[in-house]
Amino acid sequence: MPAKDSMDRRLRLSGVLVITGLLIEALCLVWSKPIAFVVLVCIGGALIGLGVLLFLYSLVSASPHPTDSSGAAPER
Amino acid sequence: MSTIAVVILVLFSAALAAAIVVRPAITVNRAGKILAFGVLFFLPLFSLAVGTENEMERSKSTSFCLSCHIMDSYGRSLHIDDPSYLAAAHFQNHRVPADEACYTCHTNYAMFGTFKAKLGGLRHLYIYYLGKPPLPQDITLYKPFNNRECLHCHLGARSFEQGATHNADPATLPAIKANTLSCISSGCHDTVHNVGRWGDKVKFWDGGS
Repeated sequence: MPAKDSMDRRLRLSGVLVITGLLIEALCLVWSKPIAFVVLVCIGGALIGLGVLLFLYSLVSASPHPTDSSGAAPER
Repeated sequence: MSTIAVVILVLFSAALAAAIVVRPAITVNRAGKILAFGVLFFLPLFSLAVGTENEMERSKSTSFCLSCHIMDSYGRSLHIDDPSYLAAAHFQNHRVPADEACYTCHTNYAMFGTFKAKLGGLRHLYIYYLGKPPLPQDITLYKPFNNRECLHCHLGARSFEQGATHNADPATLPAIKANTLSCISSGCHDTVHNVGRWGDKVKFWDGGS
């Protein structure tokens, strides 16, 4: 099922971006240097933001469930 | 929230996100979809917000400011054993919170003061990493120190309002309050950090944090 594979791939990529961003954030929180704040916001924040956006995109771009389509059989 | 708690929250969020990465098929049913929304939308944004807030709070700390080598001598100036050194007298006598000493005096007590202080911090970083940082003794304020920052605490205090020097001339006190006579650059309290001009006779107080 290519649609499902595509959804899984997007979810995986979204997860990887979020995880990378979160790990960078965790490192910045224990790294007591002023540059850590910039790294947290600019790199960690950007990766988390990209991951979240990709997740939202994967939701809106998912193919609709067959029973939700307008072509469903009319009630009798 | 303490830094440790935030780190645990962040790692917990990452671990849950890893579960989605390893088995995206768990999002097929309704519970899995709700989990995915929490793990890939709500938790990362919440962790980012909490982490950023934590860093913002930490950036107010004295230790944070002094973690740049260029600020070493300014940190040492807080321990000078001489009450005529304004910064040292404030730090050692807890006229400012010792753990937020730099921020307390160098922030702007007008609207958006904290925001402007953070922008100033980013400018410091830019100069430190990408520009040409000056020698510690050559560091100057971007703008002249505004009396407003002193008056935030001292206005209305008896020692300020009824001080002999402040009242020697009836025009002095109004001029200070109007910021036309500077507290620190008009020959009154002009020994602040004095980095680079300490000489050999200066002594250091070894107490405090």
